[in-house]
Amino acid sequence: MTPETDLPAEILSQSAAAAPDWDAVYAEQLPKVYNFFRYRLRDDSVAEDLTATTFEKAWRSRESYRRDVAGFATWLLAIARNVATDHLRGRRVHAPLEDAEAVRASGTPEEDNARESDGERLRALLAQLPDRERELISLKYGAGATNRAIAKLTGLSESNVGTIVHRVVEALRRDW
Amino acid sequence: MNDQFLNGLRREPAPAFARQLKSRLHALDGPAVTEARSPMWRWLATAASVAALALAFTFPAVRTAAEAFLDYFRVVNFAGVAFDPQRMAQLWSSSSVDLSTLIGQQVTPAAPPSPPVAYSTVDEASAAAQMPLHAPSWMAPGFTLSSIEVRGEHEFSVQGNTEKLQSVLDALGITDVSVPTALDGQTVSIQIPPVARLVYGDGHDQITLTQSRSPVIALPAGVDVASLAEIGLRLLGLDRAEAYRLAQSVDWRSTLLVPVPATTATFHQVEVQSGTGLEIEIGGAFNGARGGSLVLWSNDNVVYALGGPVRATDALQIAQSVQ
Repeated sequence: MTPETDLPAEILSQSAAAAPDWDAVYAEQLPKVYNFFRYRLRDDSVAEDLTATTFEKAWRSRESYRRDVAGFATWLLAIARNVATDHLRGRRVHAPLEDAEAVRASGTPEEDNARESDGERLRALLAQLPDRERELISLKYGAGATNRAIAKLTGLSESNVGTIVHRVVEALRRDW
Repeated sequence: MNDQFLNGLRREPAPAFARQLKSRLHALDGPAVTEARSPMWRWLATAASVAALALAFTFPAVRTAAEAFLDYFRVVNFAGVAFDPQRMAQLWSSSSVDLSTLIGQQVTPAAPPSPPVAYSTVDEASAAAQMPLHAPSWMAPGFTLSSIEVRGEHEFSVQGNTEKLQSVLDALGITDVSVPTALDGQTVSIQIPPVARLVYGDGHDQITLTQSRSPVIALPAGVDVASLAEIGLRLLGLDRAEAYRLAQSVDWRSTLLVPVPATTATFHQVEVQSGTGLEIEIGGAFNGARGGSLVLWSNDNVVYALGGPVRATDALQIAQSVQ
């Protein structure tokens, strides 16, 4: 299972006692938001752009979460969802189906090739999912959000999130 | 559940991208907004404009009645009054009286309201509002400040007409209330200072913080405010005894009475920033409006209304964080 969205204890303890270390929060949250967009969309460069948009929207108001850094993480994902929705709404009509660029990877050439191959297969599978299901998978496996956090973000019940995710994962596994 | 294969797309962001974005974010950091407190409290404090604006987002059906009714009162405190919207609708549907038209005929704009102007920063909006604007330090997850607008000061007067008001009551079948004759020919002057709205959006919904210094209302001497209030309560559909009891028990010089549709909303007093405010929770759809919460309070010479499609606890938390 993927790591959870909840922030590590050291950041939370800092937030309770003093001003949070926003650089640490940034380092913690950046991969989650970035990977949410990677799972949600097909284009890595777009994922970077939308990640930047998300953080820029949130950054100015981050002090509002001085005493609730965990709330900041959820809030950040809520913004990311909206940014993704706006992006998809704007380009859905004319977006090419095959616009994925090469997956960045690090490791041996063989490992990279294998990861790229698996990544592309997974991307192709995700691309076939209905929008809501792809978003849930993106939150779960891209952002590493808990079912509870996803429920809070989407308005679904926690059990409903679990049921849908389980069903989608089983379907994807059959096609894998 | 074997789901390891689903982790296959996860990657660390490119270091160069992470560095560049971090630099851009830090470049966004500016000096914190510091806001001085308003130095004085105008004698006639009413949240009418503030409450009416907030109510416009939550109780559209009673907006007209609320505006017409509330503008006559001044407030430091807030109190709710439950009314039955069906009863009110029945009352008004039984006659051909058009309250808006009737009131419009009695209203003379001295300085008509200008359209709201959008500002990009709180500082700019504060200057336009002629007061330091306050903002919440905590906001519901997903909501960010999306717009700031200020409606300029405006002024109007209302000419009292006993005969017309009595004819309205007659048309509605309210025959057990007499309009104070002292009202006839008298003019109520109302100056409404700039009203600022901070709108927080999440892409779909909005949470709005409205704030204003108090309108200044010049009431003619000798007007029995309690009698006028009783008439207003009857126009909302309250029965005679209840309207009388409320009219006589409320201190109209310090209390804003907010009509709340009993069938769709509940209200209760809350402590907001060491003062007493009113929290209204709307349970569900009401004439197209969504459920949500509204908190009204005054603090340090400013009247606030915080409303949006959020739970009452969240609305109160936002209100508490306004600074």
